[in-house]
Amino acid sequence: MIKQGMRTALMALALAGGMMASAPAHAEGTLTVSSPQDPGSWDPVDTFLVNWASVATNIYDGLTYRGPDTKLVPGLATSWEVLDDGLRIRFALREGVTFHNGEPFNADAVKFTFDRLMGEEGKKGPQRSNYAAIDNVEVIDDYTVDMHLTQPDPVLLTKLAGYGAMIVPPKYIAENGEDYFNAHPVGTGPFKFVSYEPKVGIKLEAYDGFWGDQAKISDLEYRFISEPSTAVAELQAGRVDLVIPPTIPIGMIPTIEEDPNIQVVTTASPTVYALRFNTANGITKDERVRKAMIYGVDRKAIIDAVLGGQASEIVSFQGELSFGYDPSLEPLPYDPNKAKELLAEAGVAPGANVQINIRGNDSTFNEVAQAVASYLQIIGLNATIKPYETNVLLNDIIPQGKTGEMFQQSWGGWTLDFDNTAYFMYHTGEKWNPYDSDPKMDELLESQRAITDQAKREEILREIANYAADRALEMPLYNLNAIFGLSNRVKNFTPVPDSRLRLNEVSVD
Amino acid sequence: MTAIAKSARFKRYKNLEFILGVLLTGGICLAVLFSDLLFPDGGDKINLMARLTAPFTDTAHILGTDPLGRDVLARVVMGGKISLQVGILSVAGAVVIGVIMGLVSGYYRGFWDMIVMRFADVQLALPFILLAITFIAIVGGGLTNMIILLIVSQWVQYARLVRGSVLSLRDREFIQSAQAIGVRDIHILLRHLLPNLIGPVIVLMTLNVANNILLESSLTFLGLGVDPLIPSWGGMLADGRTYLQNAWWVSVFPGLAILLTVLGLNLLGDWLRDSLDPTGRTSR
Repeated sequence: MIKQGMRTALMALALAGGMMASAPAHAEGTLTVSSPQDPGSWDPVDTFLVNWASVATNIYDGLTYRGPDTKLVPGLATSWEVLDDGLRIRFALREGVTFHNGEPFNADAVKFTFDRLMGEEGKKGPQRSNYAAIDNVEVIDDYTVDMHLTQPDPVLLTKLAGYGAMIVPPKYIAENGEDYFNAHPVGTGPFKFVSYEPKVGIKLEAYDGFWGDQAKISDLEYRFISEPSTAVAELQAGRVDLVIPPTIPIGMIPTIEEDPNIQVVTTASPTVYALRFNTANGITKDERVRKAMIYGVDRKAIIDAVLGGQASEIVSFQGELSFGYDPSLEPLPYDPNKAKELLAEAGVAPGANVQINIRGNDSTFNEVAQAVASYLQIIGLNATIKPYETNVLLNDIIPQGKTGEMFQQSWGGWTLDFDNTAYFMYHTGEKWNPYDSDPKMDELLESQRAITDQAKREEILREIANYAADRALEMPLYNLNAIFGLSNRVKNFTPVPDSRLRLNEVSVD
Repeated sequence: MTAIAKSARFKRYKNLEFILGVLLTGGICLAVLFSDLLFPDGGDKINLMARLTAPFTDTAHILGTDPLGRDVLARVVMGGKISLQVGILSVAGAVVIGVIMGLVSGYYRGFWDMIVMRFADVQLALPFILLAITFIAIVGGGLTNMIILLIVSQWVQYARLVRGSVLSLRDREFIQSAQAIGVRDIHILLRHLLPNLIGPVIVLMTLNVANNILLESSLTFLGLGVDPLIPSWGGMLADGRTYLQNAWWVSVFPGLAILLTVLGLNLLGDWLRDSLDPTGRTSR
C-alpha cells in the first residue's frame, strides 16, 4: 500500500518534471490534418500533386509568397525589380534566415536551388518545364541575386511562390544525398520535419527560428486518408481536426453540417470542370452540334441541385479568380428548343450516339455526368457514359485521342493565370489537346507569352476565352469551391483556394 | 425414433428452403421480365427538383428518389435486368467453355490435358481483382466486357470439376463397353459422360450466378463496370455511398435486392445439391 503510494508520487513528480521540461513558451497543441494523397517524395522538384503543397508549404519558402488572399508578397526575397525588358529580375534577399538544420539562407542557396531545378536533378522531375524561362541565377553579393531569363515569363514571379521554386539547403543535400532529402525535407518554413511514414502520414513541429509569424501550435500531423467516408468519420470522431480538399464529396456536406462539433468551410478555388468535345470526329465535329449540346443542358439547375451551391457556373474554362477571366462573357442559356433546331440544321438524326468519358472514381462528377446525359437524351441524343480508371483516362485515352464525343476535364492551375490552362487545352500538339488545331488560336496563345505588359496580356487572354467559347470547344460546367471539413477546436483557420495551405496562424483549443 | 423425427424436420426444412428459393428467385425474375411494362421510362427520368425524396412519403416514389431525383423503385427493378443478365450470361459462357475443356482433357488425357490444366493452374493463381482491374484498364468497362471477364475468370472451375468426374467415370464398365462396341467418341462424351456429371455442374452454376451478381456489383461499385446511366445494383450502391448518413434509401434498397436475389439463388442451389446428391441423406 505504502509502496503503491510511493510509486504514484514518484510518477507524478516525474510527469511534472517532464512537462516542465517540454513546455515551450508559446506554441501549444497538435493539429491533425487528413490529406487524400501521399506524394511519395518531399523534394520540390519531384512533384506536381497539389497535396504535396498542402504539406510542403509549411516546410519550405519561395522567394515570393502568395497566401490565401492570392496577392503576391515578399517571401525569402524582400523586394525585386524586373529589368532588361523582363529578361532579368534582381532579388534582394531576406537576411538572418536559417534552414531547419541551422544552415544559413543566402544567395548561394538560391543559386543552388535553381541550378538543381534546371539541371540533372530537375530533369528527372515534372517541375522543370514550368520554369523553362529561367536561364541561370547570378550571385551579385551574399544577399542579392540576378535571375536571367531566356524569354520574358509574365507568370514567373507567381511560380516562384510554390512547387519547384522552393528554396532548398545546399549543404544538407550535398552531405546527405538526394534520396535522403526526398524523405527528410529541410526548408526555412514555419514547421520543421519530424518523421514520415509512407502511405500513413508525416509529422512536423513548430520551428522556433522561423523568420515570419511563429506557429501557434507545437505539432502538425498529416494523415493520408483517401476514402472520403473514412476521413469524415475520423473528423466526426475527433481524431482528425481538418480535412483538406480534394476529399469531401458534395453529398457528404449535410452530414458534416448536422454535427455540432464540426463544420464545413469553403472558398472559391481555381478548380474548373468541363466536358470537352471531340472536335475531330463524330457529330461533335460540327460547331452547331457542340453549341446545341450546350444549349440543351441546364447547367445552372445541375449546379444548384447536385452541387448544393458549392460551385459557380463558368462560361470559359476558368473561374473568377483566374487572370484572364472575362466578366462580360455571357453563358449560352438553357434552351432545348434552340438545341433541337441546331441539331436539325446540322443534319443530326435523332438517337445519334454521344459517348461521355469520365473518371471512374469521382463520385460528384459522376452524378453531374449522369444529369448531363439525361438532358442530352431530352434533346434526342443517345448519351452513354463510359468511366475509365483515372490514370488510363489521363495518360492514354485523352492524349491518344481515343475518347468518345465528350470527355471530362478537371483543371486547377494554381498560378491562377489563364495561360496555364488555355495553352495546354487549346494549343496544337499539347498533351491535353488531341483533336484541335487552329492557327488563329495558336497565334493568340503564343503572342501573350512573349509580353510582360499585364494589361495587354489580360486583353489577349480574354480574347482567347471568348474565341474558345465562340467555337464551343468545351461544354463549360462549373468552378468548384475548395471544401474543408473543420473541427470546432481549430481557431483562426483561413481556407486557401489552391491547397497551398500554411498553418502558422492556426491555433487549437 | 429421434432419428426419424430429425429426418422429418430436416425434410421440412429442405422443403421450406425450396419454397423460399423459388419464391425469391421467381419473384425477382418476374419483376425483371415485366420491368419494361411496369416502368416505361426505365427509371431514367431525372427530376432535380425532387432529389432525395424520402421513401414512403410520396406515392409517386414509394422507395424515394436518388440524388438526381430518379425513382429508386424503378431503378431497383430495372437494375435487376443488368444483374441477372450478367449473372446468367457469364455463367452460361463459362459452363460451355469449361465443360468442353473438362470433357476433352479428362477423356483424352495426354497433351491436351496437360496444356489445359497448366493453363488452368496459372489462371487459378491470379487473384480475381487483379485480373479484373488489368482487363478493364486495357479494354475498358461495359456490360459485354464484364461478361467476358467473368467467363475468362470462371471457366476453369467447371473445367476442373468436369475433368475430375470424367477421370473417375472413364474407367467404369459402361464407358468401356461403349468403347468396346465402337461408339464414336463424341457420342460417349455427350451421351454417356455428360449426363452422369451434369449434377454438380448445375449446382455450381446456381451458386456462381449469385456470385457473379455480387462481382458485377463490386466492379460497378469500383467504377469499373457498366455505364453509370444504366441502372444496376452495384452502381446504385456506389452512387448512394456518399449519402449513406443522410439518405440511406439510395443504397439500402439496391443492397436489399442483391441480398434477396443471392439468398434465393443460394437456397435453390443448396436444395438442388441435396436432391441431386445420390449419397445424400435426402435421397429417396
